[in-house]
Amino acid sequence: MSLTADRRVAGAAALATGKPEPLELRQPLRVRLWRRRDLAFGESARAGILGALIPVAVMTLIALAAPLLATHTARGITAIGPLHGPSLSYPFGTDDIGRDVFSRVLYGIRESWLGAVGVIAVGALFGGLIGALAGATGGFVDTLLMRLTDLFLALPAPVLAIAVIASIGPSLFHTLLALSIVWWPWYARIVRGEVRALAARPHAEAARLAGVGRVRLLLRHLVPGALAPVIVTMSLDVGNLILALSSLSFIGLGAPPPAPELGAMSSQGLEYLFGHWWVPIAPAAAVALLALVANLIGDHANRRLDQRMT
Amino acid sequence: MSIVAPKPALQVEDLHVTFRAPGGDVHALRGATLEVARGEIVGLVGESGSGKTVLGLTALGLLPRSPHPDVSGTVRLDGEDMVAAGEEQRRARRGSYITAVFQDPMGSLNPSMRIEAQVAEALGGGEPDSIHELLAQTGIPEPRIKARCYPHELSGGLRQRVMIAMALARTPRLIVADEPTTALDVTVQARVLDLLAGAARDRGVALLLVTHDLGVAARVCDRIAVAYAGRVVELGSAGEVLGRPRHPYTVGLLASRPRLDGSIAGGDLPTLPGQPPDPRHVAPGCAFAVRCPSASQRCAESPPVVVDGGQRCECHHAGSLDCWPATAPRARVGSELSSAHSLRVASGVIPIPAVVVEGLECHFPRPRRHPFAAASEPLRAVAGIDLSVPAAGSLAIVGESGSGKSTLLRAVVGLLTPTAGRVTLGPGASPQLIFQDAGASLTPWMPVGAQIAERLATLNVPRGERAARVAGTLEAVGLPAEVAAVLPRKLSGGQRQRAAIARAIVVPPALLACDEPVSALDVSLAAQVLNLLCELRATLGIALLFVTHDLAAARAVADEVAVVKEGLVVEHAPTEQIFTAPEHHYTRELIAAVPNLAEAA
Repeated sequence: MSLTADRRVAGAAALATGKPEPLELRQPLRVRLWRRRDLAFGESARAGILGALIPVAVMTLIALAAPLLATHTARGITAIGPLHGPSLSYPFGTDDIGRDVFSRVLYGIRESWLGAVGVIAVGALFGGLIGALAGATGGFVDTLLMRLTDLFLALPAPVLAIAVIASIGPSLFHTLLALSIVWWPWYARIVRGEVRALAARPHAEAARLAGVGRVRLLLRHLVPGALAPVIVTMSLDVGNLILALSSLSFIGLGAPPPAPELGAMSSQGLEYLFGHWWVPIAPAAAVALLALVANLIGDHANRRLDQRMT
Repeated sequence: MSIVAPKPALQVEDLHVTFRAPGGDVHALRGATLEVARGEIVGLVGESGSGKTVLGLTALGLLPRSPHPDVSGTVRLDGEDMVAAGEEQRRARRGSYITAVFQDPMGSLNPSMRIEAQVAEALGGGEPDSIHELLAQTGIPEPRIKARCYPHELSGGLRQRVMIAMALARTPRLIVADEPTTALDVTVQARVLDLLAGAARDRGVALLLVTHDLGVAARVCDRIAVAYAGRVVELGSAGEVLGRPRHPYTVGLLASRPRLDGSIAGGDLPTLPGQPPDPRHVAPGCAFAVRCPSASQRCAESPPVVVDGGQRCECHHAGSLDCWPATAPRARVGSELSSAHSLRVASGVIPIPAVVVEGLECHFPRPRRHPFAAASEPLRAVAGIDLSVPAAGSLAIVGESGSGKSTLLRAVVGLLTPTAGRVTLGPGASPQLIFQDAGASLTPWMPVGAQIAERLATLNVPRGERAARVAGTLEAVGLPAEVAAVLPRKLSGGQRQRAAIARAIVVPPALLACDEPVSALDVSLAAQVLNLLCELRATLGIALLFVTHDLAAARAVADEVAVVKEGLVVEHAPTEQIFTAPEHHYTRELIAAVPNLAEAA
């Protein structure tokens, strides 16, 4: 009798005091204010980034190792003479002047892949900087930077490439330069849009009220939120750029002839398509394969990162 | 002559719904039992995660397909088992036998179709006259004009009326209404609720009203079912459940609800300890036992179903609980506060106000109708407001959406430059703001502690002291210090709001502005946060400027209340006076619109 009464009193007290909810956490924690590791993403998103970065790194390694994997040089003539079909020692045969197609394709992959990754890195860095600046400052600076971005966005890549090559001569570097000029504005727009959207969110307002300075606000509270869409765009862009580079080189806007470029190789080999199919098909297949790999990486990143951080 | 009892409109028996999700099975319903008789209005009340929405969706046959749900048990519509039925059969039932009204009418209406076309669809084809009549019956003014509108051209209340018209169109046997008025303003909420209940009664349509708000259920329901952790733990007539609750959860839920009447004020709301169980790991036995003050050894076994008259309750202690105090008035915080006040008065110090607002106006330009149109009158969100909050005082700003209350708050804390007028802040750290959506107010990729420490950094607190200060503040708001290293998404809603409060008070500001800080929280959590705010005010001497649409919450925390409408203060008086003797008719309208438990009980 008295026991139940006691319990009732205890119950009323517990009701009244409102003890804080017990915290249920799934992992053990240490009391630390800072973690150096990038905190912008959840576990699934982090797996998404790794899933995209590792294949990119592997492809880049293969590209860098092209000289080790190639059986012959890219420009030297082989002993067996021109237009030999594929064989064990010449897997893709030889071309019209007797160069080993397999080795040339390997070097071509190197140029295309490194070129694409380079253009994207430059575009994301430069574009991201412009975008973050425009998004964070707003007002006149924003308008100026974004109209400038639009101006570059309006330039058609092939025409710009022709102009660059006509004025400073054909070379792979010049093609990449032309592509970089038209590529960065996309990143500027993405980052600017994300930063502006994040700046209107309560968390940015709360940080402002907490007295956080402008630079720190941008770097710690806004930019990390723009990383996910930028990484997705970057990974999807690799494929686009490989195709763009090959198309430019196909129409003769790449490095000048003996250079092993996939686009140029398939365009120059076209006349042998019916008699000696390996000459144009091998480099064309390499382009298709590269673009496919790049798109698979991009799709993976997109799936894993697009669901945001919620 | 024997009378055959009519089949109930909805009969749910021992219903289990489990979602197979990658992170572990989510047991949304664990043997829920519920019955809705023909023409009856039953309220299904519960906090988020109680399974109340899943029950409604299962009845409708509208469970999501992913994550895959496993359903067992019975759901009978007019005697026909819907769990065993195929999708075709369920579809045939929807629209004619069972219909739905959801929380978000904008999401439920097709934005590219005129209202008349959508109502005609619900009617299964219809003459314009019958469409207009149906719209008129749901209280839509000028039905002929409104029928030609697109959903975005109507207000939230009108949209919900359209949804109700569509739900009633073919006079179904049962309507499932899931939080139908939660997104609406309090005065609109009352009208829409009355309309929905009235229309259902007139036509003899049964209504299952799913809501988190006991007051809403109390206003219109014949019977009330209380859901907890996937079961209906108590079911009975509205008067019985509200007036003589038998389940300890119901008792706690009722007690922790801020009221407009009674003696509870000054931040001493009774609260339920703990939080609902994780639906992934529910212990056997009574799910409420871990929070239950009268839990005993027996509670580890499945609780028995106790039937007493028309009241059904799942608890070992069901009979013996009715003498629990439904309210537990205590005066601890209040007395501290008054002693602090009297101390200040006694020492002869005239307190400097925490904030003084004079002639504040905030205008926003309206977009021109076309490029050559004359500039239209700007929107005067705040149209001349004077107010002040004394140091350690507490003022609640009450108003409906669009009244300018949030704009006022933003101007006071300095997030917005006012068009005219002055905001003078008292001495001390700069004012801080608590947002409605605590999750959104914390940067998602920064650990909670780092965000709290940022305020210390800006005030030049030495690096070595910061961690200790953060840990101390977290404990002061009722969070373990370990939370410092956690990202906000790992916390629950109530914990996030506590973390946001910790950031605001790590250096106590002279003024703490709160923008609807508890309206996104469940009842028991809301009570905890309101108590915390009051306690901080008393212990740290922080003045509160508390913006809310919830009059009961205002009453729980404020010394004074200012009622705003269309950017102006229409009434400003001490809290008791506002509730006992409101002068302005708008204040009276607001108070009348608040669902009152006492009436139903």
